[in-house]
Amino acid sequence: MPVIEVRDLQKAYGDLQAVAGVSFDVAEGEVFGMLGPNGAGKTTTVEILEGLRIRDAGQVSVLGLDPASSGSDFKRLVGVQLQQVALYPRLRVHEVISLFGSFYDRRASTDELIALMGLEDRRNARIAELSGGQAQRLSVALAVVNKPRLVFLDEPSTGMDPQARRNLWEIIEGFKADGMTVVLTTHYMEEAERLCDRVAVMDHGRIIALDSPGALVRASFDEDAIEFVSNDGLTANDLGGLAAVTSATSQGSAHSIFSSDIPRTMGSLLDLAAERGAPLEGMRVRHATLEDVFLKLTGRTLRD
Amino acid sequence: MNAFLPLLRTNYRDFVRDRTALFWTIAFPVLFIGIFGIVLGRGDDGASYEVGLVMEDTSPQAATLGEVLSQFEALELTRGDRESEIASLADGDRRAVIVVPAGFGASISDGAPQPLQVHFDPSQQTTQQVVIPVLLRAFEVADRALTQTRPVVIADFQTLQSERLQVIDFIMPGLIAMSVMNGGVFGAIAMVSLRERRVLRRLSATPLPAWALVGADVTFRMVVVLLQTVLLVVLAVIIGGVAVKVENLPALAGVTVLGGLAFVAIGFFLGAFAKTEQGFFPVAQVITFPMLFLSGIFFPLDSMPDWIRPVVSAMPLTYLGDAMRQLMVGGAPVHSMALNLGVLAAFLVVFFSLAVRLFKYE
Ligand SMILES: Nc1ncnc2c1ncn2[C@@H]1O[C@H](COP(=O)(O)OP(=O)(O)O)[C@@H](O)[C@H]1O
Ligand SMILES: [Mg+2]
Repeated sequence: MPVIEVRDLQKAYGDLQAVAGVSFDVAEGEVFGMLGPNGAGKTTTVEILEGLRIRDAGQVSVLGLDPASSGSDFKRLVGVQLQQVALYPRLRVHEVISLFGSFYDRRASTDELIALMGLEDRRNARIAELSGGQAQRLSVALAVVNKPRLVFLDEPSTGMDPQARRNLWEIIEGFKADGMTVVLTTHYMEEAERLCDRVAVMDHGRIIALDSPGALVRASFDEDAIEFVSNDGLTANDLGGLAAVTSATSQGSAHSIFSSDIPRTMGSLLDLAAERGAPLEGMRVRHATLEDVFLKLTGRTLRD
Repeated sequence: MNAFLPLLRTNYRDFVRDRTALFWTIAFPVLFIGIFGIVLGRGDDGASYEVGLVMEDTSPQAATLGEVLSQFEALELTRGDRESEIASLADGDRRAVIVVPAGFGASISDGAPQPLQVHFDPSQQTTQQVVIPVLLRAFEVADRALTQTRPVVIADFQTLQSERLQVIDFIMPGLIAMSVMNGGVFGAIAMVSLRERRVLRRLSATPLPAWALVGADVTFRMVVVLLQTVLLVVLAVIIGGVAVKVENLPALAGVTVLGGLAFVAIGFFLGAFAKTEQGFFPVAQVITFPMLFLSGIFFPLDSMPDWIRPVVSAMPLTYLGDAMRQLMVGGAPVHSMALNLGVLAAFLVVFFSLAVRLFKYE
């Protein structure tokens, strides 16, 4: 039986349909990602699953319970990290962890969690003194203070530098290795690609694609991309006409061309650039990514 | 799960690390009491007030009145003629001047009420609050000595404080009641702040029950208010020389807890409507500020006009102040103790149930 079952979930704020009928299952032990730009409805969806917001319509079952009506029986089973870190500003790191631990019968030790999140040297720091990334790590630590079977992480890597983000990814991989089920929202496609067994791509309150990252990319692209910057002369139209090109997109002076035969496309691109006298800078060849999938499906980037 | 003690500890830490909260709950009332204590503090315990007595009547009745007055230790009688005594009053050398008119004795023997002129400067608070009551008491005694049936003196005042009470004794219990009110009502700011910072929302994602959260907070505010009161009573004794009735201290602690709870409940009730700390503050001010002036803390209730009485009767601080004054220094009751406690308990029950009903995590 799935850990989470969602059928036709809906939630509106006034006239705004934030979640417009989404359905999905999450299996035991899976890292399930929700990828989408700001405002896509990710937070609304997970907070309904956490029991923090009340849905308008649809069925939701989490660990066999309805989060809207199960109260503290439900809350002791799951771990929650909210998108905005909100903690007692004058408390110290270890004090907050102990406090949250006291809400549960089953709990991880404070020292263990501090070590896990690499906060040893901030153990006695007040919350208000933490950097954004440190506060975020503490907030993840609190989400697993009750050793939950299921943990919700809402944009956990926001505010982290690349190194801290990589550390966090290792920690989340550790959760998975321990058999925890993880629901993760993000607007970083690398994060989703690296961590998630399956990803629901969300936009405007709907899931527009749901599969493993690899399958999502393969379903949209069987080609690789050439990327470069060129200040003038070249348009997406010109580029679309090059040999073996399946599609081309331009955002200002940054261009991406998808090609089923990189050497042939490259040859004709260089010829075109020479003919126009157009500079080609920062050229690289890469595989298609979830970002490309999102762009292809919606015509927009995840950062928009 | 037992989160109650950890929550109390959290409240404690949050409180002692919050300089603003510390200032308002500890430093401010201490300064307040300290300043009042120094300015108004009683000098020697047997301090007396100079009162001029102008005898324009030589009857035995007038002599009896003079004798009764001279027996009151709080009054230092000076006899003189009308002109010089009134001049001394104007110079500030007398608190009051009593004029016994010619024909006083004859009028009393005829059984006719005989008004006595009492000159005093109403801008002098001590006179209003201490000397006048003592004089009234003296007149009452004299009255009894002269005639059992009719009042000799017609007066507009009704209050009779115990004769040894001084301004400081009147003011201090009121100031302490005021601190209980402020500690209770403004103590609710902590919860509003947690809601504003969305900490409550985070807590609502845990199995922590709301009663534990609210219960721990209310308990903590209570302890703060109680400690604050202990500190202020001690200061009132040391700095102000207030003669506290030691045998009433346990009852005073009980009244502090009851009154503190009532005001915490009012604070929580107000807090339920405030989205932010900034929003809470003016609302709490509007509720507490009028009480400072209208519930007999600084000004005696009987100096207020009649039309304002209903407002005064609706104010919980009126009852807490009266109860604390009765217990702490044996002040003359405005209401019976049972009424005071009953009204405070009613405020507590009504506002606590409203606050619980209105409590929101976000
Ligand atoms: N409490 C709320 N009240 C009104 N509108 C909201 C509220 N929460 C979210 N929204 C709106 O709903 C939409 C979806 O928001 P959200 O679920 O936070 O998306 P995401 O997490 O993907 O950024 C956004 O347009 C957002 O502005
Ligand atoms: Mg969000």
